[in-house]
Amino acid sequence: MADLPELVKSWIGKAVVVVERTVTVEKESWLNFCAAIQDGNPLYWDESFAQSHTDHTIAPFAMLPSWGSTHPWYPGKQGDGVRAMELHFMLKEALAYPNGIVTSVEMTYHEPVRAGDSVRVEQILRNVSEERATRLGPGRDWTIEVVYRRQDQVLLGLESMSFLGYRRS
Amino acid sequence: MNPTLALHARLPTRRIEVTTKSIIMGAVTSRDWAPLHHDVVWAKSEGNLPNIIMNNYTQAGLINAYVTDWSGPAARIGRLRFSMRSPICPGDALDLSGVIETIDPEPELIWVSLAIELTVGDRLATRSTVRVALPVSEQSPSLWQRRADAWQP
Repeated sequence: MADLPELVKSWIGKAVVVVERTVTVEKESWLNFCAAIQDGNPLYWDESFAQSHTDHTIAPFAMLPSWGSTHPWYPGKQGDGVRAMELHFMLKEALAYPNGIVTSVEMTYHEPVRAGDSVRVEQILRNVSEERATRLGPGRDWTIEVVYRRQDQVLLGLESMSFLGYRRS
Repeated sequence: MNPTLALHARLPTRRIEVTTKSIIMGAVTSRDWAPLHHDVVWAKSEGNLPNIIMNNYTQAGLINAYVTDWSGPAARIGRLRFSMRSPICPGDALDLSGVIETIDPEPELIWVSLAIELTVGDRLATRSTVRVALPVSEQSPSLWQRRADAWQP
């Protein structure tokens, strides 16, 4: 990692991005996602079914990172706002890679998210590789860990994401 | 009611016809505004990709739905791991298939590990492992009512 900019070196091991309460979770938002993936799980849709399991309907776990992403526009917004994996975009910019893709994800699911909740997100940079040749162009791999907590600090989930940042050859 | 559990048993395959609409719907409803999931010109010219590609949240949602469609909603997914080997694009006929890798009974639940693949023809798009808890019986307490210290996914 000797070739990394000092700024990026200073990020390793730290919660570089902390996002507090960007949106309030609401049911119709997650049902739009369920419609997109055609997921009819009654825990997401059916209040009376959910009552005996989760007290109320819950949001799909796959959407946990979505609740840390700001609206694409809001009054007074400047720049890009907070994107779903803001630290990933900060790394792309700091390392001058116009492109980036997710290569692997590991999620551990804890307490489910319900309507009215908001989510606190901590993004921690774990590592950045040296530059290497990839089939998409020269690039680097990096890993970001994310801790998701409810507004009352209850743990919702843990995530580890591996990325490839690259520029066209 | 739980599905029949047997080591190495296969889950029913699910076919999904991937369209531009389904990729954009998945990205937008998961609040992912990155252009490689909705802007084909950008994906080709700037992303060096064949087309727009399915985002990882949509893939996670499809995998989770595939598991709970099989297990029933009383099951509770604890852990999801997946690696994306090649992009999923409009026009792909995407097959989800899975096999039971481990079965670990505990006093009030059964942990099951599933190996799941997302393939387009012979091409592997995504490989996944899911650890899901199933109740021992219909009379078992709901897994969703477990206190945090009793939920160790």
